[in-house]
Amino acid sequence: MRDFSYLRAASTEEASQAAREAGAMLLAGGTTLLDLAKCGVAEPDTVIDITHLSGLGGIAVDANGAMIGALAKMGEVADDPLIKAAFPAVAESLSLAASQQLRNMATIGGNLLQRTRCTYFRDPAVFPACNKRNPGSGCSAMGGVTRNHAVLGTSEACIASNPGDLALALVAFDAVIETGSRKVAADDFFLLPGHTPEKETVLQPGEIITGISIPASAAAKNSTYLKVRDRQSYEFAAASAAVGLEFEMDGKTVRDIRVALGGVATKPWRARAVEKALIGKVLDLVAIEKATKLAMEGAVSHGDNHYKIDLAPRVIARAIMKVATSNVAPSNVGGLA
Amino acid sequence: MTRTIHLSLDINGERRELDVEPRVTLLDALRDHLALTGTKKGCDQGQCGACTCHVDDKRVLSCLTLAAQVEGRQVTTIEGLADENGVLHAVQSAFIEHDAFQCGYCTPGQIMSAVACIREGHAGSDAEIREYMSGNLCRCGAYNNIVVAVREAAKAVSAPARMVEVA
Amino acid sequence: MTIMEPRKHGDASDGMIGGRQSRFEGSLKVTGAATYALEYPAENLAHAILVQATIPAGKVVSVDKAAALAAPGVLMILTPEDDFGMTVATDWGGNRPDNQPYYPLPRDVKYNGEPIVAVVAESREQAFEAAKLICIRYEAAPHVASIADPKAGEGQVMDNLTTKWGDAEAAFAAAPVKIEGEYRTPREYHVAMEPHGLTAKWDGNELTIWEPSQWSHGMARTYSEWFNIPYEDVRLISPFIGGGFGSKGGALAHGAVAAFASRKLGRPIRLALTRPQNFTNYGGRAATYQSIKLGATEDGILQSIIHRGASETSTYATWPEQTGAATPILYKVENFSSQHRVVPVNSVTPGALRGPGKNPSSFGIESAMEELAYKLNMDPLDIRLKNYNDFDRQSNKPWSTRRLREALTEGAEAFGWSKRSHAPRSMREGKTLIGWGIGCGTFPVIQAPSEAMIRILGNGRVEVVSGAIDMGQGTYTILAQTAADVFGIPVDQVEVHLGDSRLPGAAIAGGSMLAGSILGAVHKAATAARDELIGLALSDAKSPLRDTGANTLAFAGGRITPPRGEGPSLTLPELMAALGREQLETTRNTLPDGASAEEQRQAWTTMAKVQGPTMGEFSMHSWCAHFAEVRVDEDFGTVRVSRMVSAFDCGRLYNPRLVESQWRGGIIMGIGQALLEEGLVDLRNGRTVNGNAGDYLVPTNSDIPDIQTISVGVPDYNASALGGKGVGEVGIVGVAASIANAVYHATGKRVRDLPITLEKLI
Repeated sequence: MRDFSYLRAASTEEASQAAREAGAMLLAGGTTLLDLAKCGVAEPDTVIDITHLSGLGGIAVDANGAMIGALAKMGEVADDPLIKAAFPAVAESLSLAASQQLRNMATIGGNLLQRTRCTYFRDPAVFPACNKRNPGSGCSAMGGVTRNHAVLGTSEACIASNPGDLALALVAFDAVIETGSRKVAADDFFLLPGHTPEKETVLQPGEIITGISIPASAAAKNSTYLKVRDRQSYEFAAASAAVGLEFEMDGKTVRDIRVALGGVATKPWRARAVEKALIGKVLDLVAIEKATKLAMEGAVSHGDNHYKIDLAPRVIARAIMKVATSNVAPSNVGGLA
Repeated sequence: MTRTIHLSLDINGERRELDVEPRVTLLDALRDHLALTGTKKGCDQGQCGACTCHVDDKRVLSCLTLAAQVEGRQVTTIEGLADENGVLHAVQSAFIEHDAFQCGYCTPGQIMSAVACIREGHAGSDAEIREYMSGNLCRCGAYNNIVVAVREAAKAVSAPARMVEVA
Repeated sequence: MTIMEPRKHGDASDGMIGGRQSRFEGSLKVTGAATYALEYPAENLAHAILVQATIPAGKVVSVDKAAALAAPGVLMILTPEDDFGMTVATDWGGNRPDNQPYYPLPRDVKYNGEPIVAVVAESREQAFEAAKLICIRYEAAPHVASIADPKAGEGQVMDNLTTKWGDAEAAFAAAPVKIEGEYRTPREYHVAMEPHGLTAKWDGNELTIWEPSQWSHGMARTYSEWFNIPYEDVRLISPFIGGGFGSKGGALAHGAVAAFASRKLGRPIRLALTRPQNFTNYGGRAATYQSIKLGATEDGILQSIIHRGASETSTYATWPEQTGAATPILYKVENFSSQHRVVPVNSVTPGALRGPGKNPSSFGIESAMEELAYKLNMDPLDIRLKNYNDFDRQSNKPWSTRRLREALTEGAEAFGWSKRSHAPRSMREGKTLIGWGIGCGTFPVIQAPSEAMIRILGNGRVEVVSGAIDMGQGTYTILAQTAADVFGIPVDQVEVHLGDSRLPGAAIAGGSMLAGSILGAVHKAATAARDELIGLALSDAKSPLRDTGANTLAFAGGRITPPRGEGPSLTLPELMAALGREQLETTRNTLPDGASAEEQRQAWTTMAKVQGPTMGEFSMHSWCAHFAEVRVDEDFGTVRVSRMVSAFDCGRLYNPRLVESQWRGGIIMGIGQALLEEGLVDLRNGRTVNGNAGDYLVPTNSDIPDIQTISVGVPDYNASALGGKGVGEVGIVGVAASIANAVYHATGKRVRDLPITLEKLI
């Protein structure tokens, strides 16, 4: 790691001010920043520790929704009984991420800012070309080993996948990311790589995430997070889905459905085409299969990652089936039992 | 220019003073500056769990924690687990009893993780133990015995509490 | 290193050979008090780190180190331009060229990741940051990235690995039933939890090295030869090793760099490889491919095996991963042909990794046998029993012991194999397909000499002293048990000193050869010490046992008594006190009597005295049969092993508790090999791009089911003095095939290239 100076911020304002300086970086859980500093990807001159700030933690849940402080730990939120009850997909996305040690360190705010696991991005000594690290230098991943790279939302500049789990659940349930100065819909918070893959979110220099609000909804309450990966635990997703579902009173027609995809896209990916195809429809296996395929419209593979195009719709389908049968008598749902 | 900062850390209930560069991790501070080498460096990038120790009673990875971050917090390492008379913690005894290690290098991390796993209430079933111990890699392959050791230690740890409830 | 206060477990018989004594050094390991190589303090320590080549082949044209030298804390920078003044040391085969200079930081780049520059600074962080300022200019040359590179070609035939008998081609052509397949295994890595690294320190001309080592004497020799100093002037200390699995058997370039830097700087140097550097600075298991043709009769009798295999090696050394190692001995066949090639590529030279040769070899033949079984509509257990091999046709020698039949039948019984439904895809629970498969394994008995010292102290404690090492196999424990057994004392009266090249020599902890070897030496030394003590007790004027009329003495229950219990009974300290002895020291080795000092040195520091499995009258091997159950998600292609039963013939078990742990460890590594592990090479520059513990996946706790192990062995006194055969290597052999076979049974899809990742099944 580069030699840096360490500043323990006394207030959010002080942190924000200090973070505006060139070379300054905020330190919360540290699980991304210190990791990338060791890889030589992050080279801060000043590290501003915000973990001791008060007022940025806490979890509050009421009938309208949840408010989660930016410094709440992933593990804390994953185990919160109210979050588990009102937003199962949120809790599950967190408990299936990383390991308990990392979840005890990483904050909710920091988790949204975790960087890609693209191995080319993480190895600057051997692969100097990376548009994310060094805009305009090229992309080393293209033409290389791409098994874990994105098939959705890619550009000619970058095919790195977003590694998030929680972010999917937030995007699916219309969460709002709050900073000191504004509120941004989660789906708008993350940026597609386009020509500027170095810019991953809308955050401005010095802008600090203070919290996340998630509106309550029937779909969020009846939701799940499904993560498929090579290893049973402690691994990023090959493909994952956050899905929530609300039926009409008949118990079989879809009133509201939310679908977001992970492990396959350059940003947490809301699959609105799938949602649109199913809303108002009677949910059955044929409808699900037809709809989930829509998630892959426009997908582009780069050799090794082609399997994701087949896998992701199956993950969504399984997740939909799970929430469709979870608290509704199976007899009410045609062909799903 | 290399700068050092002075830190006063609470480690295993003792106050430890040290001067380190701000970039020094808790792991390197323990091993290289405080001669507490029980905490192991397996990957130094958050991928193996060998460096697990407790900060304010929560298990964390010391390789991705700056020493400066834990000023004002309580740090517990493997060296601080046995009691002052050297009597082993129930998890330590269970690891010996059930042969839950071979080379021993991941062991302090496994044990620190297991102590926290039980405390968190994540040792309710073998499946839960497996999942919540998955952040600690063991290449010798002691996983079966680790599960047994955690399960048995969880019983031992909770036994006195149950007795109190009955009384 | 002294080990004190072992925790007692169970009754006294646990402390004897064959008992289930808990791990002798356990309390040190669970308290963090066990000291690994990088944990020894050194005054005035400096830190070195390596800068690696970022191209796969070519030449270093220049190294610009000015900026790095000016960085804070930097003390020294070593480059290919430095005169190391070192000479090439003896290789594995025992060959040493005359006065050939050794450049641990070479000018010729042979693989991506080769160390080119070393930066030495006051702190590791400073060295690391300064390293980023080094600017290396290369002249690139064409490269071959891996065995999968179209430029790799067929490689060279290894004549010594070519085997044939009968007429395999004709028999295959004539066989009514044939199968043919090509099986592939990727680069696999050790990923020992303790990364490689060392501390080197010079005192005048004497060099001390603290480095994890599977062979303290062999590595000390390498250091002495590198620096052309007497062997006695090197001391390598390695009492605890955080896993080796084959990777820590020899001194490596980074060790040479650290030792050289220490001498040049005049300060102790610590050099720790980063985790990613552990994927490039030494070789894992080479990638392999092999084609297998089996010919059989309609009723499943093998008529012919034709095997053609190849493995990667580097461009500068030949390391065959012998794909034909298990093929000739697992099944009875009268017509056999096998050939192995090595294919040079721009990678670090591969090395030994658990079950070398036998492991990929077994994956091939054990997959092929089940393919044949399904083609014949035969039970995979039946086809194995039907073709049971009655003697070793390769060496034309009888087996010493071979209880593979018992392993198959008892394993099948414990697994519930008879309840199997034969057809693929015939067992399922909802979306989960369930399959069962078998994989057999074998590993040769390799014998080597060792030496040990027994020291009986006046206080009655018995010390076992040996340069042998313990990386988790249980050397401390079984040595203590052996001494306890011979002296009839509890194990906590024994101390064990290991892992130091200054101590009596021992075989390498590799090829499963150490336990059988060192136990023979310890047993011999302990028996000799006991006999000497008996002689003194019966003859010394001061001994209360002198006038008992006994001609020998019994050692049991912590007491020494005349055989029929008549006369006085003394404890060891009482007898030592009566004899007025403060200590009694006896050293014995297992070399033929009269071995010269030079022969002894050679025995402990080279492979010269190592004996293969068929060098005597018999063909000697450990054997096993694995039974795997997998659950495959039909939609996702994810495979999880849900049950595993493995039965082993490893002869006599010196400590079943520790043996079971080692077997499970091998099996777990085999599960990783089957489902997860693969070094991914970027063909453009030969870089292993997933060289870290997050991207190169090894199994987590959640990936592993309960594994049942069964011992079916009987003592084999041809294999070792005390009847054991090798334990550590064989556990992994056959596991991958059992899982691939189970995946076929579950899904109807035959995956012939490891690992069996989800995209191969959807």
